[in-house]
Amino acid sequence: MENFFSILFSLSLFYVAITFRVKAYVSVLRFQGILLALLLILPFIFKFSIYAIILPLTIVLIKVILIPNYINKIILDLDIKRKIDPTIQQLTFLIIVIASVIIIFLLTSIISNNIELNVIPFASGFSAIVVGIYLIIFRKKLIIHVCGFLILENGIFLISTAIASELPMMIELGILLDVFVVVFLMGIALNRISDTFEGFEVSHLRRLKD
Amino acid sequence: MLDFTIFILLPLFASFLCYIVKNIKIHFFISFFVAIFHLVLSLLVFNKLYHTILPTYFGIDSISRFFILILSNVYFWVVIVSYNYLKRPYSEKVEESKKYYFLLLNFYLASNSAAMLSNHFGMYWVASEATTLSVAPLIYYYRNEESLEAMWKYMFTVSIGIAFAFIGILFLSLASKNILYDGRQLFYWELIKNASKLNTIWLKASFIFIFVGLSTKIGIAPMHSGDVDATSNAPSPIAALMSGSLRLTALLGVLRIFQIVTFSSTYSFAKSIMIIGSLLSLFVAFAYMFKANNYKRLLAYSSVEHLGIITLGIATGGLAFVGALYHSLYNSINKIVLFLMAGNIHYKYKSREIESVKSVFKNLPITGWLFLISVLAILGIPPFGIFFSEIKIFEGLIISNQWFILVAIMFFLLFIFVNMSKKVFEILFKEDDLFSNNYVKKEKFELIHLISIMLLIMLAVIPLSFSNTIYQNILSILNDFGMKI
Repeated sequence: MENFFSILFSLSLFYVAITFRVKAYVSVLRFQGILLALLLILPFIFKFSIYAIILPLTIVLIKVILIPNYINKIILDLDIKRKIDPTIQQLTFLIIVIASVIIIFLLTSIISNNIELNVIPFASGFSAIVVGIYLIIFRKKLIIHVCGFLILENGIFLISTAIASELPMMIELGILLDVFVVVFLMGIALNRISDTFEGFEVSHLRRLKD
Repeated sequence: MLDFTIFILLPLFASFLCYIVKNIKIHFFISFFVAIFHLVLSLLVFNKLYHTILPTYFGIDSISRFFILILSNVYFWVVIVSYNYLKRPYSEKVEESKKYYFLLLNFYLASNSAAMLSNHFGMYWVASEATTLSVAPLIYYYRNEESLEAMWKYMFTVSIGIAFAFIGILFLSLASKNILYDGRQLFYWELIKNASKLNTIWLKASFIFIFVGLSTKIGIAPMHSGDVDATSNAPSPIAALMSGSLRLTALLGVLRIFQIVTFSSTYSFAKSIMIIGSLLSLFVAFAYMFKANNYKRLLAYSSVEHLGIITLGIATGGLAFVGALYHSLYNSINKIVLFLMAGNIHYKYKSREIESVKSVFKNLPITGWLFLISVLAILGIPPFGIFFSEIKIFEGLIISNQWFILVAIMFFLLFIFVNMSKKVFEILFKEDDLFSNNYVKKEKFELIHLISIMLLIMLAVIPLSFSNTIYQNILSILNDFGMKI
């Protein structure tokens, strides 16, 4: 079951690679958030405990409801164009993503010979990190950069469930809160950027140079 | 519990108060008292006059004792200066930023103290991410395009860097799998105790991720760009705070993982990575000084250089390690004076370009003198601290037979010395008709100048007094790292 969710997670990365619509990124974030929450509930299906519920609920609250809604609101408020202008062709991007994912899966399975590891969740998480970085490098719109950062964070979260040595709950909650505040601040900054530069693209941020 | 309250809860409460009360003067008084309490307690803790009992995930050892003193010291002076700084009229937009200034400053103190006192990697991560979040809006103080861009870039690069550090932390828990029980993983002392048993491959991966990730925040090349942008565009007290304490918070994370690594077979690997990073930072600073055109950027690159030297000292170990710890203390004090004086110049000339700032010595004599002295101090002129700590690091390099590195460093430092003083003399002494007549009014002696003089005296007195407490503390840090002089 864990593997099934992780594979769904990886598939959502391919969707990110080919989509043109900004809103699709937000839907992907929602979808990934739901998957992460389900992954966390899985071990507790047969032994219910109240502590096991708090973390998935917070994830649903932050990653499925608050952050995507907030990003949607920014998109509406700032009237960001619905379509992204890619710097490279979508097909090339998809090929790069697929190739990276294949390499990561192969490498992980080689590493797992030496150490006990859940190959599929670990590799899916790592793929998300790489795809997140690609989004930041290859896309122009700053809002997509924020989505890329969030996909990267989701990937890290997936790895941490794959490693299965749980972090203490207080710290997990702290991490979620930090991520939320980062996105919140980035949203405010985006608002300001659209006021001062009249645009949301990285090409506007060229003033600071050595 | 009193220590935890003063170190973390009190600043948190103060930032809450700053949210409720709207008067900036009251904000200042609240922050001032918090800063005094913090400083007094960290002095007591440093001198081992106060026995600390902290809750889970927090603990105090010699290294956090040392770093929290540096933090308290920098923060204290920054708060005192801040009120005068805020009173300066700048533009309409800045009024808005002033409301949140002390609120964020207090939150910064709370989160930074939490990062320094943590004894668990997860806690450290959460707290140090919170420091980034509290400092980012402060970078945007002037509300102009440059500061906005600087804030965005800083927040983005550091958040991603810290995310990488988190991957490193996850790898560390993989390295300790089947060795440490669940729930005891990621505590520093548990990892140090079992360092030799940790899985080598994961430990190496973990070190690389944590070092590279945190170097966005430390400002070590090649990840220094966001940090340099932020330090050069932030208001001066914040720049001083970032150079003097925030970079060290990130360095502390690297020190923690390095401490684990020193007891394992990964030691030489980690050492060489850190040496490469530090040489790169020195090289970047060396290259920038040739073409510097912005004096605040010059200072930011000087921070890159000095953090590079500190990292080098830590990696070399032994006597150089002692030198590096002294260096981090002196650098933090010196950077406050430098940035405050640069802020004075910026306020008067309204420009950060070296081109458009001339004959400071004539127009701002007091600021000019203090800026000159502090620049000489940071370049390593005796009797100021930086000289003594650099000598120690060089000695350490000689003892450990790293002649090649020593020569490279000497070469870089020589050119940094020449170029940086050239640029600074250009600002201070070059005559320009346009500027010499504009400011006839004589410069008044202000609180900022008094504080700068006090800090410079401190910088000269600490090394000359051969303070035994500091030395003993550094020795016990060295002992914790399993090193000897």
